[in-house]
Amino acid sequence: MKLTDFLRDRLPAFLISAAAWILALIFLFAFHVPAEAVVIVSVIVLLGAAAAELWAFLRKRGYYDKLSSSLEQLDKKYLLSEMLEEPEFLDGRILHSAICEADKSMCEHIAEYRRESADFREYIELWVHEIKLPVAGLQLMCHNDGAQRYAEQLRRIDEYIENVLYYARSGSAEKDYIIKPVSLKRAFADIAVRNRCELQERGISLHTADLGAEVMTDGKWLEFMLGQLMSNSIKYGASEITVSAEELPDRTVLRFRDNGIGIPAGDLPYIFDKTFTGENGRTHTKSTGMGLYIVKKLCDRLGHSAEVSSVQGEFTEIALTFGKNELYKVE
Amino acid sequence: MKILIIEDDAALRGELDVLLRNAGYETESVTDFAGAAEQMKHSSADLILLDINLPNVNGETLLQDYRRQSSTPIIMLTSRTAELDEVLSMSYGADDFITKPYNPTILLLRISAVLKRSARSGAAQSYREAEVSTVRGSLTRGSSEQILTKNEMIIFQLLLDRIGEIVTRDELMTALWDNDEFVNDNALSVNISRLRGKLAELGYPDAIETRKKQGYVLR
Repeated sequence: MKLTDFLRDRLPAFLISAAAWILALIFLFAFHVPAEAVVIVSVIVLLGAAAAELWAFLRKRGYYDKLSSSLEQLDKKYLLSEMLEEPEFLDGRILHSAICEADKSMCEHIAEYRRESADFREYIELWVHEIKLPVAGLQLMCHNDGAQRYAEQLRRIDEYIENVLYYARSGSAEKDYIIKPVSLKRAFADIAVRNRCELQERGISLHTADLGAEVMTDGKWLEFMLGQLMSNSIKYGASEITVSAEELPDRTVLRFRDNGIGIPAGDLPYIFDKTFTGENGRTHTKSTGMGLYIVKKLCDRLGHSAEVSSVQGEFTEIALTFGKNELYKVE
Repeated sequence: MKILIIEDDAALRGELDVLLRNAGYETESVTDFAGAAEQMKHSSADLILLDINLPNVNGETLLQDYRRQSSTPIIMLTSRTAELDEVLSMSYGADDFITKPYNPTILLLRISAVLKRSARSGAAQSYREAEVSTVRGSLTRGSSEQILTKNEMIIFQLLLDRIGEIVTRDELMTALWDNDEFVNDNALSVNISRLRGKLAELGYPDAIETRKKQGYVLR
């Protein structure tokens, strides 16, 4: 708060006082009060008024300066009311209680939404858990009755269910993953076995190289991500999938490469965006544009990174980078 | 070999029962879950399949209590895909952890792997007069030795574990893929004929019999 701003703000009050003073002067002169007395009274009143204004200015400046500097420093602006003490002057008190009340009401509002979204997520987890029982039952029935024809459809149902589960997980604030050493080889073999029938039916061959490394991640989440990548490779015409890992001093890079139809250069920057389907999604097969988006979000939450490179008609490669944070190794 | 099934979903329990019986196991099921702990204690099962989410009781708690008194192998089954459950279960002493829906072939493979692990702790396996060494990847009969490749060993192991029974191509393929050997149909046939050749060298030319449209049997 600048003094000039304060004075400009008080200008109407000064003008009113000045008008009253001029009126008073007229009366003083009309009653023939000696000029010296008029000067002395004028000086006293002026000094008194100036002192009063200065006091008012300093008092407000203390509060408002703290308010604006707090607002500037705060990363979460809605916490402002927590940072301020109640001022002594009236308009400050009114403002303060207004801020506090508005803040409280917003917090309640947010808490309500947060509760709702947590409830919803909880229900999704529960639902996924429930729906998996009949799916598991059907899968065993297929096997027991030798009805392999249905098994593939069941696998697809299971994949879509997992998508919902991980979408719910990717957006939640809860920490529901465990970071521990995970064998890339094991994770990839699990995904490969799960997709074996479809891979063999389409004559897709798998090649792996240097998957001996272990990375710090959540095993289940990693398997989901690899499953998504594999499902994309199968969808987009790959006949060969090559998975390799490269260990660097500070990170491990997992490259998931296929020789499918590739991604047009114009679509590349957007493929991790939500519901982005791009040219391939329109021309080839129905795509929801959610798979890679979820993969990216999971990567972000786990502190990994995902990058894509592709040449249309030649290959698509997704590289997942896992950090080697020494902190994690303390067990 | 007897397997105790502790699973509260009736349909799933029934199908598991059929699956395991078809695979040549005896089965026993728990239907009263309040008395599950007692039944586990008194069962003569060689392996227990234990669901985590049970009415009135948690599978992990059952596992923890059971481990205090017995070392019978336990495989945990769950439909919750969470690393935490797996880490907990393994730390409580589970031998394996499988999430539903499971590939039935893999389930059977895991069961036989766990059973094998608990049955022979280091004891050498043999086939007729030949000695099987998984460490060296070899078959030895008297003075003649045949070195098997990793694929051949996986195939031979599976056939040997279920000697006299039909092992389907699907099962062989799943076992290979589960061991990072992503072979195709042709490669499997080639591996089998090579294995046959090596067995013939040892004097067992008729060891692996082909059952049309069913699979293979090791005699």
